[in-house]
Amino acid sequence: MDGVRVGKRVIGAESPVTVGWENLPRVEGGPLKQFVFTWFQPTVLFALLAFWYYAPNSIAKASTAIGIGIGFKVLLLTMEWFFPRHESWRLTWKELTTDLFFVGLGYTILRTVDVYIGDGAMIAAIQKAFDWDKFNWFTGLPLLVQAFMISFIFDFGQYWMHRGMHNWYPLWLTHAPHHFITQLNINKGAVGNPVELFLIGLGIGGFFDFLPRAALLAGTFGMAVSTYQHINVRFNTPRWWRFIFNTTEHHSLHHSLDYEATRSNYSGTWIFIDRIFGTCVDGEAELLGMEGGRRMSIREQMHYPFSEAWKTLKEKFGRPVTAVPAE
Amino acid sequence: MNLRFFDWIWHIKGSLPLAHGQSSDEVFERLDPLFRQTGTTHERTNGTLSFRKKDPAAQDKMSVFDRGVLKVENDGTGGVLNYYLSSRALLFCFLAPLLFLSFGQLTVALGTLNKPSAEAEKTAEDKKKDAKKEAERPMNPIDKALGAPAPEKPDKNKKDKKPSPTPAYVFAGIFATLYVVGRFLEQRLVKSLFKKRLLGETPVALSEPA
Repeated sequence: MDGVRVGKRVIGAESPVTVGWENLPRVEGGPLKQFVFTWFQPTVLFALLAFWYYAPNSIAKASTAIGIGIGFKVLLLTMEWFFPRHESWRLTWKELTTDLFFVGLGYTILRTVDVYIGDGAMIAAIQKAFDWDKFNWFTGLPLLVQAFMISFIFDFGQYWMHRGMHNWYPLWLTHAPHHFITQLNINKGAVGNPVELFLIGLGIGGFFDFLPRAALLAGTFGMAVSTYQHINVRFNTPRWWRFIFNTTEHHSLHHSLDYEATRSNYSGTWIFIDRIFGTCVDGEAELLGMEGGRRMSIREQMHYPFSEAWKTLKEKFGRPVTAVPAE
Repeated sequence: MNLRFFDWIWHIKGSLPLAHGQSSDEVFERLDPLFRQTGTTHERTNGTLSFRKKDPAAQDKMSVFDRGVLKVENDGTGGVLNYYLSSRALLFCFLAPLLFLSFGQLTVALGTLNKPSAEAEKTAEDKKKDAKKEAERPMNPIDKALGAPAPEKPDKNKKDKKPSPTPAYVFAGIFATLYVVGRFLEQRLVKSLFKKRLLGETPVALSEPA
């Protein structure tokens, strides 16, 4: 495999990838299907932004956002079932059950941990100590600007945390299990070691809960853009969208079996952060995973960072095994 | 303890009648591609095929099973393929509701333990700050002109957000449902998979020379 030169790197030398938007397949079918799969993503995004902008205070609440989020995921799962991007990524009972287990951890035990020792606790402490007068310049900005800034700052932090995970071994150990997924489906974003899910969840998101409407608008970018990172549906994503936002194409490259391809597209929502720092590669991959595409069991996902760290430490500091010559 | 009373939880048993005169070699030859998957090892001896799977790919049609035995036998009326398959995924899904119920209980217990601190009275200074915050809720003129609702005054009686056990109970219900669905679905799918392979085209290795 020759791969494709992208800047100083060669992408796709180890596993097939497609580089360049002009080389990607488009949605096949009649004009109605083409229309729906071209305009679905922008329509949902703008409809949700309008909803949160104008919704009365009694409706603009986190509980409504959770309800919409769950309904949206069910809709996307249905789309995956009827319009799969790749047959090889089709959701099976085992995949769905595994994905939901990790989603369940995120909604239960990890949330509890977060409240006591994660960003929930930190944010509560900061909010208490903060002088809010210094924040008036921000709260006086137009709502959509506030929302963009909240979303962008959060994603900027996530970009560097994610890039750090790919470049610093201790952090990589926590992130590696997520890269053993061999297909993309709506809930695959939740699959990974809980330590990573905890680290990636550390952010400033909850910091803005005193600005409910701006926070909900910011969350819309997460829901109506980031969710598509792990989806088995093909869209004719508009050119401006894929220039600004992360897409399933970008993220499939990030999950490719090809090592160089995985070192790209780190942002969660705003792919232009990758463009700024030179880590964006436009393209897609179907063959995903690590170590030849072996699927990691839930048990190994749980202990991998610790067992691998132990192995590495033993190799580095352990007593070398010397062979005793036979007499 | 006799396992056979509850091993149906994670084992799937079944049988398929074979076409007249189909030998065990022919049967296993037809099923062979199912056992030539990444992470799968298998061996055949005297009409019995046993297999094991380690970290099978999501795309493996039998990935839900970890091991199993397939036997070609004669039940008096003709050849029959009997199979006995084991799935840790099914067992795990069966037990998952208990795990989530325990998470729910843990959340309740932690909530009870932390009650005094959660309801600790606010200091006079905090109250002063809250009052100040209440007075200052600026709204940008652009948002006013576009008709966005005015920001709500903060709720003075708003309690600290504490995790609720409800999601844990919802997930316990989801996994109980998934188990029932999976137990029947996977039994049906594996039967139709074997059936398709046995009735499908003759493998090249066994086809008669032209």
